[in-house]
Amino acid sequence: MHLVIEMLRSSVLAATPVLLAGLGGTYTYYANVFNIAMEGMMLIGAFTAVAGSYLAGSWVVGMFAGVAGGLAAALVFAVFAVYLKTDEFVTGTAINMLALGGTTYALRQMFRVKGAFMSPMIRAIPRVHIPLVGALPGIGPAVSGHPFLVYVTLALAILIEWHIYRTRYGLRLRAAGEDPRAVDSVGVSSDRIRAQAILISGALCGLAGVYLSLGYVTLFAENMSNGRGWIALAVIILTRGRPLGLLTMSLVFGFFDGLGLSLQSTRIPPQLTQMVPYIATIAALYLYSREKRGAPLGKVESDTVGKDPGM
Amino acid sequence: MDDHFIEMRSLIKVYPPDTLALDRVDLDIREGEIHSVIGENGAGKSTLMKVLYGMIPTSSGEISFRGRRVRYASPREAVAAGIGMVHQEFMLVPSYTIYENVILGAEPVGRLGALRNAEARRRVRSLIDRYGLNLNIDDRVRDTSVGAQQKVEILKLLYRDVDVLIMDEPTAVLTPQETGELFRRLRDLNAAGKTIIFISHKLDEVLELSDTITVMRRGRRVTTTENRGLGKADLARAMVGRDVVFSVEKPPARCGDVVFEARGLSYVDAGGRQRLDKVSLAVRRGEIVGIAGVEGNGQFELVQLVTGLAPVQSGQVKICGRDVARASVIERRKLMCYVPQDRKASGSAQKMSLTDNSIMTHHRLNQQLESGWRALLSPGKSRRFAQNLVDTFGVLAPSVDAPISSLSGGNQQKVVVGREFLFGADFVLLDQPTRGVDVGSVEFIQREIIRKRGSVGGSAGEGAGVPSAGCLLISADLDELFSLADRILVMHRGRIVADLAPPDTTREEVGEYMLGVREPQTIAPTGAGSGACAGAGACAGAGEGAPAR
Repeated sequence: MHLVIEMLRSSVLAATPVLLAGLGGTYTYYANVFNIAMEGMMLIGAFTAVAGSYLAGSWVVGMFAGVAGGLAAALVFAVFAVYLKTDEFVTGTAINMLALGGTTYALRQMFRVKGAFMSPMIRAIPRVHIPLVGALPGIGPAVSGHPFLVYVTLALAILIEWHIYRTRYGLRLRAAGEDPRAVDSVGVSSDRIRAQAILISGALCGLAGVYLSLGYVTLFAENMSNGRGWIALAVIILTRGRPLGLLTMSLVFGFFDGLGLSLQSTRIPPQLTQMVPYIATIAALYLYSREKRGAPLGKVESDTVGKDPGM
Repeated sequence: MDDHFIEMRSLIKVYPPDTLALDRVDLDIREGEIHSVIGENGAGKSTLMKVLYGMIPTSSGEISFRGRRVRYASPREAVAAGIGMVHQEFMLVPSYTIYENVILGAEPVGRLGALRNAEARRRVRSLIDRYGLNLNIDDRVRDTSVGAQQKVEILKLLYRDVDVLIMDEPTAVLTPQETGELFRRLRDLNAAGKTIIFISHKLDEVLELSDTITVMRRGRRVTTTENRGLGKADLARAMVGRDVVFSVEKPPARCGDVVFEARGLSYVDAGGRQRLDKVSLAVRRGEIVGIAGVEGNGQFELVQLVTGLAPVQSGQVKICGRDVARASVIERRKLMCYVPQDRKASGSAQKMSLTDNSIMTHHRLNQQLESGWRALLSPGKSRRFAQNLVDTFGVLAPSVDAPISSLSGGNQQKVVVGREFLFGADFVLLDQPTRGVDVGSVEFIQREIIRKRGSVGGSAGEGAGVPSAGCLLISADLDELFSLADRILVMHRGRIVADLAPPDTTREEVGEYMLGVREPQTIAPTGAGSGACAGAGACAGAGEGAPAR
């Protein structure tokens, strides 16, 4: 029983950064921007959050610094990918590499440490203890006592579902992704919508970074995003950008992430246990794609046929 | 009527470095009229309207609307002022409903940007009723017909309260029935006070619909006249600057053996949709078989299966008696000439030279292009080959080394058609061979097609040296089918629903089959033979082993 609760608790904690980044990526998914820079945005956010929190001695400053870090990376991405029309894949890769190299360099220059920076001066974001529910035996510890960003993230998932499907912005966003000319022709700039979507995703990835370095743990380590931005991308594609689907899939990832950690206490080598969440992601992708491909004739290879004759 | 409604004065538009798209154009549009602007491709009619609509800036000149000088910086400003344009290509989001497409960009919103649909839906519905547009606002656009999509474009503008509707070649994508429907709707709109500017190059339509007609040629306005007692010939002369022959001379078909045969071809696409359903047809030497149909009814897949770009799932494809269902593309190309429908994407390589484009596929099949070394092409022989093509097919080009993109659309198409016809195979597959090509080139290409068809035995004088071939012609242009085809097959939902002979059928009848309003005919499984070729010689297997060149 204790183990189950512990697994549930660690699932929620591990799911949060993936979900936050994924919610950001939802915007770029609908805007049809191939946003592979989420990993880098998250890492930069994690670093600037720690730097801000440490220097100002305030988690609020740290949080804003983290969001600003993610936004700055997104701004670069938006300027290049949307306005200068560079290739999204190349630009995103550049940002990811810059983020890894840049944060590692800054870590060593600013804090004179290698690997990880820990200090009691880093202020973590506060934890919320839900009254009543938190006192319940069993599920109490699983749902209460998390960093407050966990609850913000859950609220955001619902809010973003509404924003994308029920508002003017959402209508334009989805249209811009599907047929930018249709949007431009009614006098709305599709470039602008795409740039906005990238900035929103940057801010949310920055927040995911804040959660990682000031919530999940209270430190900054080199490459601490550790592929979560990529997992978020996979989850978005898997769920076709539905925020509520994203929530479920992130929890699944979180579960396997937690499972990996739990297995470390066994005699399985840690190199293998660390692979668990990623293997689970690949398995999920495979199962999902097979389901989607279940076309009657099975082996229709050509994808040139059946599309509209069009251009 | 207000004589100062829309006035355009000495509009000039130069595309750098030296293309004069509009040359001092003056034009007045009166309130409440249907005003047609006609001209060939490249005459400047679309450019003129895009200038009015704020899509492209003028180089000089002025426009006034309702007595006030205007210069719209964007279509949005033009629409806000009351001028709207429906483009040839629709600007719709396929997965959205009709309602969502209509409100996109002018959404009714409440607090926090949330959509407030109830009132707007009522308004869109009432517009549909008022102008008899007959649309269901919750249908997804991708599930609607081309005609309905065009009405959605019109509805978008009505929702934005425009007074002037500019229609850019609206009938190019419609069947005759849909065209009739569009004209009734346009007249209703006109009766309700909307001014309509109608851009077209189809003379019959212009004469039928408009109050006033303006003719443009090479960027200049040639004439503007009331539509009273005008004839087609008058307009055509003004448009082209010379007399135009309307029908292509065609000797009667004399068919020989079967050069192409498809039996029971079916195709299901990756999405599980049945694109072709047991299609059977045959083409004989000396005849042109036309395929009519609304785009997306299986023509595309048929071409893919015949050319080998998609695998044959079930059924047979025979060219010159040889079963090619499993043959590679290059094996098939030895047996057929193929003019693809998209000149830019698959007909040519736009950045490469005219020479390179001329020898494509020949470079694999024609050993005379080789230099002394096997597998090495001779540049000199290639250039001479291209020069020969240019001379034979009347291509206007600065040099055979120029990139093909520097040629006009019509000349590019002549290169493609010429290259294919030089193969000399007995089966010719033509997919929209004259789409987007100027009138002069259309005439030329159509003549070449008829020459290619030839007549068996070379009895017709001019075709003496040209061996006759069987042609399969896929076209969205009914006029083209009626002037070229000896038989017209109609495709609807992946099936061949009718086999008609042009002298005995009408555009309306073909249109009804295209739309599926008529019951499909029962067609003999061989698919060979209504009217034109009845009684022609037996189809011996003489095609076997026919040479590739």
